[in-house]
Amino acid sequence: MQPQDHEQFSHAVLPEATADEFARQEFVKSYKLHLATQVSPKTKTVYETQVKPSFEKEHGRTPKNRHEIRKAMNGNNHYQTWSSLLRTSQEMMWKSCQVSVERQWGKLVSEAKKKSSDKPAGGTLSLDPSVKIPRYLTAVDIHCQPGGYHTELVEDDVAPGAIFERAVYIYAMGQLGPMNDDMGASTIAYIQKTYPDFTPKRILDLGCSTANSTVPYKETFPDAEVFGVDVAAPMLRYAHARCEAIGVPIHLSQQNAEHLDFEDGSFDLIVSHILIHETSTTAFRNIMKECHRLLAPGGVVIHVETPAYKGMDDYDAFILDWDTYNNNEPFWGKSHEIDPPRAAEEAGFDPSKSFEAMAPSAYEAAKAKRTNVFQGGDFGGGGFWYLYGVQK
Amino acid sequence: MPEELNPANAKLPKHSKGMRPQFFHDPTSDKLLAMVMALAGEVSVIRDRNDTLERLIDAKGLLDKSEIDQYKPSKEVIAERDAWRQEYLSHILRIVDLDAENMGRNDVSPEWQAVMDEV
Repeated sequence: MQPQDHEQFSHAVLPEATADEFARQEFVKSYKLHLATQVSPKTKTVYETQVKPSFEKEHGRTPKNRHEIRKAMNGNNHYQTWSSLLRTSQEMMWKSCQVSVERQWGKLVSEAKKKSSDKPAGGTLSLDPSVKIPRYLTAVDIHCQPGGYHTELVEDDVAPGAIFERAVYIYAMGQLGPMNDDMGASTIAYIQKTYPDFTPKRILDLGCSTANSTVPYKETFPDAEVFGVDVAAPMLRYAHARCEAIGVPIHLSQQNAEHLDFEDGSFDLIVSHILIHETSTTAFRNIMKECHRLLAPGGVVIHVETPAYKGMDDYDAFILDWDTYNNNEPFWGKSHEIDPPRAAEEAGFDPSKSFEAMAPSAYEAAKAKRTNVFQGGDFGGGGFWYLYGVQK
Repeated sequence: MPEELNPANAKLPKHSKGMRPQFFHDPTSDKLLAMVMALAGEVSVIRDRNDTLERLIDAKGLLDKSEIDQYKPSKEVIAERDAWRQEYLSHILRIVDLDAENMGRNDVSPEWQAVMDEV
């Protein structure tokens, strides 16, 4: 069955919504779209016409970085209103997805168990209860998902994964495509364009959550063995059931990307999709070292994120930085200042082999609707993904 | 994981761990805005439901959807609706009504003071 462009692709473990639950989720999607297309542009106008001139009058110069802009904007009523509305939309999004998952919780758990034991696609799942959830995930619930990725409340819980898959679709307003796979698909398109003769045999996706970005790698490179790791067991249970339900074999295991149990040189492609900004400075260093250890000579690691602040207009960096302060993403800002050649060198790679690129979104159906702006609350609206990495 | 929890009785956490930022000078404004948007969401849900009903009734041939737009309420229906809206508004504007009733009586009354002294 071909996914339809106007709705999320349905499968055996995607939570169903009653008419009212669906209407509530649709409202959040429209609410977020309205903020991104109607309110956010006015926030920039307010900065240009009111906040910036008044800063200049007071200080005799323009704001020198995103932090000064933020401090000046914090006192502006339009910005306060936009921010309060955006934060509220985020909370309503999680709530709208939680209600339907809570209602069909038992069914989702048993459906996932069934898919997991039948294994129609032939993927595997390996859980390790001894994996410690890192502090960067337990200190706050990342992007305000109540309970985060890892909280398990019932036996064989899959609720965080089920909530996440539906919420990501709404969060991105469908801009990641019916399968939420645009980050993976866009990265694959970049790989095929940049390394036309490269056919990876073993691929690893770090912090794979529901494996929404992992699946397209197996679809594009059917002869490759594709692995996904995550620290959160409920995400992996859901991911495994989802992969089996849609018929794509992926090997999933519960591991921290900072310390993996795979053999040295055992992968020729390692990827991560919006993982790094949810870790920490130390964790990122550890992850890069692991990538160096795990890659075979000639192998490539690619991390996918929203664009780095370097070279970006200060206002644009300020607005993209909104999540750092207002959406439980403490490492967001710092991770957008990562220097890829330096990070590569610290991990043992040749820094001259590091790269940065803006890869166009592969999901073209959303093209006309995108704002083409990188801004808080408009995930996937930029039309490009920022990739950085290094070849070993 | 507590033994007794299962999908039939467990509750998902309703709030995310971490500090909720305050955007307005008065935190009440942040709360009010969140309430207004929740209400706007519920109105949207009702609107979608009503739209579904109209489309189903139309599809089943029970009623042409355009009849709803052409419907002219009778004098009696208008009176009923007027009355309903007055009642509805009095519920919503209760707080304003309360203010008005208290007008000029914001000083401590002798009766109130007497009770306070007694307790």
